[in-house]
Amino acid sequence: MANSREMARSCADRATRASVHGDVAPMQPATHRRNTAVSLLLATLLAVAIVTGCDRLLTERPDPGTRFDQPIEGLGNGELGRFQAGQAQFRRGFTIDEGLGPVFNNRSCASCHSADGRGVLENSLVRFSRGLDPITAEGGPQLQDKAIPGADPEVLPPGVDVSRRLPPPVFGVGLIEAITDSCILSHADPTDADGDGISGRPNYVMAESFVPATEPGGGPGPRIGRFSRKAQVPALLQQVIEAYHQDMGITSSFRSTDNVNPLSNKPNPDQARDPEVGGGEVDAVMNYVRMLAPPAPGEWTDRRRQGEALFVAATCATCHVPVMRAGWHDIEALANRDVLLYSDLLLHDLGDGLADNRPDGSADGKEWRTAPLWGMRLVREFLAGDMLLMHDGRARSVEAAINLHGGEAAGAASAFQAMTADERAALIDFVESR
Amino acid sequence: MIDAPRCRHGLAGWAPVAAFALAASVASTAFAAPPRSAAGAAAAKAPMPAGIVLDGPYHGRSDVFAFGGHGEVRFGHDRERGIENPEWLSFPRLEAFALARIHRRAQLVVDAAYDRTMDQLILERGLIDVRVAPSWSVHAGVMLPPLGRANREHQSPRAEFSDRSLVASDLVGAPVSMFGIGIHGLRGGAGLPAMTYELDIVNGYDDGVVTEASPGTRIPSGRNSAGDNNGMPALAGRLAIRPHPGSEYGVAAYTGQYNTTEVEGATVDDARYLHMTVLDATTMVSGFRVSGEAGLAIIDIPPALRAIFPEQQWGAAVEVSRGLFRPLIAAWRTSSLSLAIRGDAVDFDRTIPGDSRSRLTAALNIRPSDRAVVRGQWFYEVTRDRFDNDAPAAGVAASGAIYF
Repeated sequence: MANSREMARSCADRATRASVHGDVAPMQPATHRRNTAVSLLLATLLAVAIVTGCDRLLTERPDPGTRFDQPIEGLGNGELGRFQAGQAQFRRGFTIDEGLGPVFNNRSCASCHSADGRGVLENSLVRFSRGLDPITAEGGPQLQDKAIPGADPEVLPPGVDVSRRLPPPVFGVGLIEAITDSCILSHADPTDADGDGISGRPNYVMAESFVPATEPGGGPGPRIGRFSRKAQVPALLQQVIEAYHQDMGITSSFRSTDNVNPLSNKPNPDQARDPEVGGGEVDAVMNYVRMLAPPAPGEWTDRRRQGEALFVAATCATCHVPVMRAGWHDIEALANRDVLLYSDLLLHDLGDGLADNRPDGSADGKEWRTAPLWGMRLVREFLAGDMLLMHDGRARSVEAAINLHGGEAAGAASAFQAMTADERAALIDFVESR
Repeated sequence: MIDAPRCRHGLAGWAPVAAFALAASVASTAFAAPPRSAAGAAAAKAPMPAGIVLDGPYHGRSDVFAFGGHGEVRFGHDRERGIENPEWLSFPRLEAFALARIHRRAQLVVDAAYDRTMDQLILERGLIDVRVAPSWSVHAGVMLPPLGRANREHQSPRAEFSDRSLVASDLVGAPVSMFGIGIHGLRGGAGLPAMTYELDIVNGYDDGVVTEASPGTRIPSGRNSAGDNNGMPALAGRLAIRPHPGSEYGVAAYTGQYNTTEVEGATVDDARYLHMTVLDATTMVSGFRVSGEAGLAIIDIPPALRAIFPEQQWGAAVEVSRGLFRPLIAAWRTSSLSLAIRGDAVDFDRTIPGDSRSRLTAALNIRPSDRAVVRGQWFYEVTRDRFDNDAPAAGVAASGAIYF
């Protein structure tokens, strides 16, 4: 009985063991007055802060056109939902347990493309081949220098042609996809018929067999390549699938077997069930990049107008075509509009200095697709103040990039070098405002 | 996915642990007598390292059977870069614990919790605690290793904030439970400051540190209280001094192999270790309660992953709080109002500028009694990716937590 009473008393007086604020003793009047004053002051400050700066205190939405990861204007609600779902997949970091590897370069799309823009030197990719042979039996066409435990990373075989590639920006690729073949071909001059020293030809390539004819760039027969540094990829689906497979070692229903190091005799330690992503995830990522808007160009100033005129006069705009035209696209916001790309999407010989001596599709070792200049004004912002230009990031400024142009672009580079310092500065200001 | 480990060495590494357990059992029998001296009795009542057994309010009697628990609900309005998070209601934590005294020197403790950071129901504690002598005890089972104070003391109604510091949540992974055996005790007296100590031999973090971590090395992904993946025990310990009431300064350390070296008989990797040190301090300064925590972790990463899986991480947190009114309402003797501010940060990769999180949090806590809190909170946080691009996030929240 005594025990029962004791237990009952203990229960009634429960929860007294822990003193949450044992250090705060009942207050003296002076302390109470001081704390009242402090409380009133804090309450006033809080009220003022809430009234005047709610958005700032809770973060603000960035203005349209100021980032690389914003949706293109004019999307419907359903499309915006798909955009957001795709963004989550784009940012998804794969774990080893989820199938990362066995050999790979990085663990997510977003970990290569800084804020959906270009990458940095540390995560540039190395592509290699022996001439036109992608030497898949030796690990080609891409070096996967990272491996999960139990697998050997690839090492570069001797005597191969090597090309280091900076991850390109992924915004605006839907608009590139929507540009009509006829628009691209209208800028081509493969035999330099006009005698300006600048040719330009499309890279006709075959789409991978998994790309259906219903996809832009898909189906049998040669297609105009639009994506990647040498325009060797005709379809966005192909680009996404190869990035999953080659860059992350993630299998899909389109590429359902693991990408292993063929020169390693170790068993494949990747035990994740294949395919490691489904068609829905692939579709989500593809639609996300499709709907990414290019940043808005900067405001026009007199100096920039002068720079634009100089840009045209130096024949830069012959290849860096300011405006291309999009045709039909099943995403209405991408269709039938001007595209401020500053590229003709054609191959040009840029000379020995930039040559990687490695063919890709019908592109030879000196040819590169004209790099779009859109988004230039934000490159520094999303590369921690750095400016990495050209296919391998070797140029740290627009001026350095122009000076590296050779081959068909040697005339443009010479014209730039012949300008006064003020004119060069105006041209650079114009380019950096795109 | 790597299969469940089948280590050739089996549990060989745990043999010394078994020997230690046997010795402790014998010792507990040998010392099974009440304290004979007044000093011994005083020591028995003195504060032991917090959180090994139960230190929350409970129903019943600690000398027979006791049980209790607490829960928290949070209503929030969070935004990341101006875009609202649709999840406005959440349950950060729900915990239930029970204690049964099976002998005058031994008690069983069970503590199960749903914690939002893990998003599952876990056994945080399931241990037997045997008081070998008045000033030291042996404990074995599933325990919360002493990796900083926050891993032990994370009961929602007592906390000043509804979420833990980034050191605790993102570096250590609190709450992190492991199974093993250890000792804890108290030294000091005779003019010397009280000192508590604890040393545990535990199963340790597992491969998840790397294999289940999507953004790079993340120690919380290696939490594992269910099994041992490599047969090699890890060591965790903490030493703390309490120079005067309300103050404590602690240093904790952890070391252990985290990875599996063999899968199905084939060697897949060398043994790789995780080392961690956590410092914590709590004191009173001019009526303000000031506490802080700092941690450094060094993780041995396989060479083929080092470029994207960092090997050194650290974090720090400083928290200042002040009780403004007690009682807040005259009729409620233990009601109180307090204000707290915390700054905390964790750097997931010491070698680059990005890959980090930093946060500022302010909270106003109204406690109708010591058993419950109603909290208003604001935070502003900046997450930086490995390119050093920032993603600001902020939010306001109202939350309530109560012991039941």
